[in-house]
Parts: sequence; structure tokens; C-alpha cells
Amino acid sequence: MINCEYLKPVDLQEALKFASQFADRARFAAGCTNILPDIHTGKLRDCVLIDISDLKELTGINREDDFISLGSATTVAELLNSEIIRNEAPVLWEAASRFADPVVRNRATVGGNLAYGSPASDMSVPLLVLDATVLVQSMEKGIREIPLRNFFVGPGKTVLSPSEVILRIKFEPLSDFKFYYTKFGKRNAMAISIASLAVGIKLGKAIEEARIALGALAPIPLRALRTEEFLTGKPVQTEILEKASEILLSEINPISDIRGSKEYRLELTRALFLRAVNNILSLK
Amino acid sequence: MKNLEMVTIIVNDRPVTAPVEAHESLLDFLRNKAGAVEVKCGCNQGDCGTCTVLFQGKAAKSCLILALQAQGKEVRTIKGFSGDSLMEQLQESFVRNGAIQCGFCTPGMLISSYAFLQATPQPAREEIRNAISGNLCRCTGYKKIIDAVEEVALKRTGKQQDKQTTPSSFSEGQEEAKGNYLLLGGG
Repeated sequence: MINCEYLKPVDLQEALKFASQFADRARFAAGCTNILPDIHTGKLRDCVLIDISDLKELTGINREDDFISLGSATTVAELLNSEIIRNEAPVLWEAASRFADPVVRNRATVGGNLAYGSPASDMSVPLLVLDATVLVQSMEKGIREIPLRNFFVGPGKTVLSPSEVILRIKFEPLSDFKFYYTKFGKRNAMAISIASLAVGIKLGKAIEEARIALGALAPIPLRALRTEEFLTGKPVQTEILEKASEILLSEINPISDIRGSKEYRLELTRALFLRAVNNILSLK
Repeated sequence: MKNLEMVTIIVNDRPVTAPVEAHESLLDFLRNKAGAVEVKCGCNQGDCGTCTVLFQGKAAKSCLILALQAQGKEVRTIKGFSGDSLMEQLQESFVRNGAIQCGFCTPGMLISSYAFLQATPQPAREEIRNAISGNLCRCTGYKKIIDAVEEVALKRTGKQQDKQTTPSSFSEGQEEAKGNYLLLGGG
């Protein structure tokens, strides 16, 4: 028995009011690319769907001083069509171009992809490597800013309370970094990642700063902070990169599932990491 | 006790009003309430693309939209393109290139191709492959579909003359009639 209700708030304030009123049953609905399959498979049976897909407050891709700010209801297709994203955040653009398929990209939103909390979330990896911040709001807690790297808690779980909505996502484009993004799946379209990885390196005489984000390789999408720390200040040498990949493998905790075994994912991570670094070095 | 709400959706320029449940999809509405059975239900979870329609001018999988989200909005199914020269060229090209076998993916495939060619009039072959990657076809192996879309793009940009119709055991008239039947979702 499905027990769903649907509410269409006229503005953000009303959306927050509805969410607060229905507490645990509230589900913000925008692209519905996860919600409807979850209803069809019986995973979601009892909910109040609060339709935020037409709320103007949650749209727009803007420059704000040093930051790029995205409304949470920005679709993945809108990222691809944005000159700002293409020119200033190519790692996010690249991930958007690999997201699901072109038709789904017209509906799926950035905020929805983060809030769903999948360990394989394809928007989280580029946004983690950009060290994005998530701006959220609820009646109870007001407006909070949460670094994306503290946002995910476990499979399907985030720090969001049920009545909290993501307003915007913002990040610095980091023009002095070079980035590489890769997604590894069973086919190119509509694949849930077996592994995805984004690497950003600021290169001087040595590696001045490194950032590594991983998807589908742990219970949450995560940053490999210990590997990043190890690489900082190190010269680019084969032994250093080998050692870094060892540390990287100790930071992840992949599962065996229908898409690949744990052992396979570990080997894959090493290969993808080295490929990413080599690609970045060849970009010079 | 079902919780029903009335919704009005503009389907192929015609408003259709019907009661729906909150969790019903636009696909359910189109097939069961608007009689638009040319919109096919394949996987019903966003993977296969057979239910692709134009939603507010963009290709979208109708199984991934709540019917109530479409209140007052415009939906175009494959039956809503008569007189549209791009769609008619695509349909003819699909028939000519043998891009239709069982026909089940065809309505969605045509709408994805249509939206793509509108945005990208001069695509590379690889871009066409990517553009239809959300629409599964279990018959053709995709090559003939890509050929068909490519032919329309080349023709529209003046890079290629009309291909000669390949000889077939059907007479031309019969072949066309069969093609139209499939294209309108009769298959």
C-alpha cells in the first residue's frame, strides 16, 4: 500500500513550512529520478512529496566574488550548458557529461543527487575535489553551511534532517589546479559507477597541493585526506606515486556487489589513480 | 481510500484533465488517462527510455516525472509532431534505413533524436551515439538508428543529397504505410 501525498509550495518559505509540518514523512521532490524508481520498487511507500522543482530561489548558476554558486535545483543538463561551468569548473563539467544519460540529465538535479546520499553519487566526486560547501535551510535550524566532505554519513544518509533543504552549493573554481575526472562503469550510459575518482593537483616545482575524491569505493563518497597530505610538497616520482596509491587503498573500503568485487575495486582504484596523475602531468 | 487530485496536462496541444494519485507518474497518466498508448512503458524506472516524451520542450523520461508535477505543462508525444518537418524527416529516414525492427523503442528513440538534432544540427557520429544512449534498442544494434539520424543531419545541412531508396520486396507504398503504422505506436 502506497501512502503518498503531494504538495506544491509557492515559495521557499512555504516549502520549509510544509517540511517542518510533516517531519519524517517529508521528501523534497525535484527531478524525481530517484524518488519514482524508489516508489515503483516499493522502497518508498509513505511520504509527503514537496515539489521544489519550480522554486526560483533554488535555481541559477552565478559567480559570487571568488565563488561559483549553484542553485540546488540546477539540472545536470544546465551545468553542461553553462559557460561558467565549462570554462571555470571543467572537472564538474566533465562529470556532468558522464552523468546517467542525456535524457535523464534534463531532469536530475545537483541538489537531489547529493541529498540522496548514494555512495556512488556522481555529482559528489567533482564537488568534493573542489571542496564545495552546501548551504542548507530548515525552520528548526535556520541556515547552515556544511562542507561537502562532512555531509555524507552512510549509504543513503547525510547530515540533513528530514525538514532541511539544500539551497545552494558553492565552491572556488581553483584555477591554479589541474584536474582529472574518471568514472568507471559497465557501460558508458546509465551506469552506476563501479568506481569514480577526481584528482586535482597544484603543481609547482613539487606537488604544492593535491586533492583526491572517490565515489563507490566506501560507504560514502569521500576525500582521501591522508593521501593528499602525503603528496603535499613531494616531487612527482614513480616511487612517490606508488607509495601514495598504497595509502589511497588504505583509505577506502569498497564492498563486493553485483558490479564488482572488493579486490577488483582495489586494483581498479590504483590503476585509475595512477592514470589520473599521469593525465594531469601530461596537461602541462 | 485513495487520495485523488485533479490534474490538467497539455498533451499534444490539447488539455487533458483527470484524477491521479500523488505517486502516479506522467507515463501512467499518458497511457491510462490520456489514451496516449504510443508512449511505451518498458522498465518503468528510468533506464530504458521507451517512455521518452518532450516535456516543456525537452526530452524527458515520462516514468520519472510525477503526473502532478506536470500540472498545466506541455507534453508532446510521438503523435504530436504531424507537420513538423524535422520529425517527418527523421521518421522517413528511420524507415529508409531499417532503423525500426520491433518498433517498441522507436517513439522514444525518435524524440531523443529530435531534441538532439534541434540543439546540435551538425553532429559528429559519436555525438549521435551519445545522444541516444538513454534509449535502449534490443533489435537493431543501433547502427541503423545512428545512420538514420546522421542522414537527416547531413541532408538538413545540405551536405548530402537524398539517398536512393533501397530496393525491397515491398512496393514503396506498402513500405511507407507499414512504417507509419509503427511510428505512430501501432506496433
